[in-house]
Amino acid sequence: MIESIILWLLAILLAPFFSAIMFKVKAFFGGRKGSPLLINYYTLIKLFKKGSVYSTSTTAVFKLGPIISFASAITVLMFLPIAGHNPIFSFNGDVIFILYLMGLGRFFTIAAAMDTASPFEGMGAAREAYFPIICEAAMFMILIFFYRLTGHLQLSAYFTGDNTIALWNLGGAPLLFIVISFFIILLTENSRVPVDDPATHLELTMIHEVMVLDHSGPDLGLIELGSFCKLFFYSTIVSRLILPFDFKISAMGYFVFVLGLIIVYVAIGVTESVIARYRMDKVPQFVLTSFALAFFATIITLEFI
Amino acid sequence: MSQFFMSILIIVFGGFLSLILARQFKLMKMVAVFSLSAGCFWGLFDAVTKLMQSGSDAASFKYLNVFSLAFQIDGLSAFFLVVIFAVCLVAVIYSFHYMDHSGEAVRTAVHYFFFSILIASMALVVTAANMITFMLSWEIMSLSSFFLVIYNYESSENRKAGYLYFVFSHVGAMFIFAAFGIVYGYTGSFGFGAMDSIPETAKIVVFIFSFIGFGSKAGVFPFHVWLPHAHPAAPSHISAVMSGVMIKIGIYGIVKMYTLLNFHTPLFGNIVLVAGVVSGILGVVYALGQHDLKRLLAYHSVENIGIILIGLGIGMIGVSSGNPLMAVLGFSGGFLHVLNHSIFKSVLFMGAGMVLHKTGTRTIDALGGLLKKMKITGATFIIGSLAICGLPPFNGFVSEFFIYIGGFKGIGLENSAFVMSIFAIISLAVIGGLALACFTKVVGVVFQGEPRTKAAVNVDEKGSTMLASMLILAGACIFIGIFPGAFIQMSIKAVSALGLGYGHVPLEPFGQMTANITFAAMVFLVSLLVVIAIRWFYYRGKTITKSGTWGCGFTQPTAKMQYTGSSYAASILEFFSPAAPLDEDHPKIKGRFPEKTYYKSHVNDIAELNMKGVIVNPVLFIFDKLRWIQHGDIHLYIGYILLAIVLLLFFI
Repeated sequence: MIESIILWLLAILLAPFFSAIMFKVKAFFGGRKGSPLLINYYTLIKLFKKGSVYSTSTTAVFKLGPIISFASAITVLMFLPIAGHNPIFSFNGDVIFILYLMGLGRFFTIAAAMDTASPFEGMGAAREAYFPIICEAAMFMILIFFYRLTGHLQLSAYFTGDNTIALWNLGGAPLLFIVISFFIILLTENSRVPVDDPATHLELTMIHEVMVLDHSGPDLGLIELGSFCKLFFYSTIVSRLILPFDFKISAMGYFVFVLGLIIVYVAIGVTESVIARYRMDKVPQFVLTSFALAFFATIITLEFI
Repeated sequence: MSQFFMSILIIVFGGFLSLILARQFKLMKMVAVFSLSAGCFWGLFDAVTKLMQSGSDAASFKYLNVFSLAFQIDGLSAFFLVVIFAVCLVAVIYSFHYMDHSGEAVRTAVHYFFFSILIASMALVVTAANMITFMLSWEIMSLSSFFLVIYNYESSENRKAGYLYFVFSHVGAMFIFAAFGIVYGYTGSFGFGAMDSIPETAKIVVFIFSFIGFGSKAGVFPFHVWLPHAHPAAPSHISAVMSGVMIKIGIYGIVKMYTLLNFHTPLFGNIVLVAGVVSGILGVVYALGQHDLKRLLAYHSVENIGIILIGLGIGMIGVSSGNPLMAVLGFSGGFLHVLNHSIFKSVLFMGAGMVLHKTGTRTIDALGGLLKKMKITGATFIIGSLAICGLPPFNGFVSEFFIYIGGFKGIGLENSAFVMSIFAIISLAVIGGLALACFTKVVGVVFQGEPRTKAAVNVDEKGSTMLASMLILAGACIFIGIFPGAFIQMSIKAVSALGLGYGHVPLEPFGQMTANITFAAMVFLVSLLVVIAIRWFYYRGKTITKSGTWGCGFTQPTAKMQYTGSSYAASILEFFSPAAPLDEDHPKIKGRFPEKTYYKSHVNDIAELNMKGVIVNPVLFIFDKLRWIQHGDIHLYIGYILLAIVLLLFFI
């Protein structure tokens, strides 16, 4: 239990560091030196030191947005098995709770954006409401796949100890589909290229970044930290899936886990560097691919396993 | 039983008193609201006690010396009685300040009269124990609600809505009559008891007929066409009762028939589940395309009926494939969703009623920024929205969680049960996402941002009974969301009454699930408090400044530039355009100094679109050909009657 709590705190504290790896990779591809690996900490410290400017159009919902999205992000991490260890809390059906809790965070992020009366933020909000619908369907398809293999409905049954190895032994090749599908969901839910470009120069073409235009100071800090945690959540799962090994020596286990995380973040960085953002009306097709992959994986298990 | 009849008597008596006191507006309102709410409260108290004791109670009377009127309260009826009385109680309280046109005293009195009849007849439908009693109460329910729909009969739109509702409820009743007629043909009795003795093929026909009949009351796609017209036409608390309670009586009918037929074929489960999935997804897609706030909420009723049917369908599939856990999870989730939907939909309709009352418009794109002036209405509306999206820690999540777990139990099964479970789970996920999109649209456009027209500028919220009702219901949404234990017990008691052959359903495994939900909600609330503390810590003594919204460099923003509800929903609707064709109308912009232009859009409901060609026109054609029978000669009409009697004497 204590070990799980320490891991949870470490996850929140280290999430900004891993995101910086992604920036380094992008800088490398761009032929730049790039910002230091601790850049996200500098940004967060700067933000938390500042005061805030609030728009006269906003209400209390605008202030609730960052609070609830950050609270839901850290609560979700409490249910996540990190490096194969037991999560702090776990119960039958916790995956559904987690997915809907992220929905709650999204509701308030969107509501906070609509609160500003800005047409740009409304546009971002509309997209933020649209794409995750397909993601959610894909997530549940993946859950169905996992349930079919294990008969359980909790994250700890898939990602702790040697459960992941067992998953590979049971699932085999179709699990590769799931990894790709999950990676697509990761890109979509965390507003990365090719779905969203957080670094574009035009507000009109952004999704997540435009929604937080009016937040400032500690509020913006909470949003940033929350999105690092969210990315960490998805990356942990992918990392565990690609390197499912369980070691008796715990140091080895952590090393492999961190290695997996670095691979995932580098992969995101490489994806961001080599692919351009899709046109907005092409994005749903891209996201639907993840659903199709998970669906085929489930059908294959139905026939052959 | 006497307690129950006393409460019904008080309610109906209150309705009659309001007619007598119609001239004294204030007094009439007070008397009506007092006696209706007293009756509802008594009935609620009685129903909860009965449900908790899980006994059953019966009474019967002779009517006209031929028919017997029989009533029975078992777990299932008691559960629905709780829903009926609880929501009607709050709706009656709400109506006190909502009905404030003293110039329309007589009309208000008539409205209270029909309202009392509606409450009483709904309660009688769910306690009816034979066909005669059932159909009698059913017809009274349909007629009294018809008069409530045409409350504002001056507007031709409302008259049309009333007419549509009248036709649909009677065609629906005809199907139920047909189903009962088939049963009577086999058993020769009006009692419900003998229904499971009829042959299996007849059972299938009876079930399908009654599913169409009850489904048209419940608003199951494609029999929902009347619903988005009729619900917005009625006064808002009546919309809440119709949407929250009356359509659930249709659900009660479907479950009751399923129980009485006692035939556990996978076919029933599949029909119910597929109907649920279609209603659920299309309901929310059409809701997303609406511009009228109350119509949007009415379409959400179609969606939630879909979710309830998915739950019931999972339950029926669980029964037919011999998986008791799946069955109980599906049914109890569906029943709990009946209760939950009645609560949050009432909050939402009451909030919409307040908005309509104060701004005079239901057009979503004409509003904006109401949250600043209407704090309580806005807050309760947001709570209702979170609950209807099924988000934790609100009540909608609990019932959807049970249905999900039930659906996942079906993943372990084979063949059609497996496919159906996948279908159910994925569509629940899609419905959840779409509902979130729809309610962020409503909350964002109506309550947030800046006022888009003058109607939304100078508003306030007054009327203590209206605010109190919304607060009570919003509180219930949160309470059930965090402490669902007792409510799941209630719905499991209702499942025990279904007679699925499981005997007494054990509560422990479900108690564990509700404890988990409570625990998870607590974990979230604690981390929320911690985050609030952190935020407070970092804002101590900081300078907070106010300024305009960042316009991305544009310095002259106006309220007109805000994103509208139509544009918010446009891209999602485009994705669903095969099922929801969009009509757009806007003239091309011409010249250097273009004239003032406009944009109109309308999302077509495919059921409504095809109804004219597939049903209305052929029926009109046939009736046109039969017009010669009706030629206006009274002698011949008497001849028809004689002929009919003679034929009946010969053949029956």
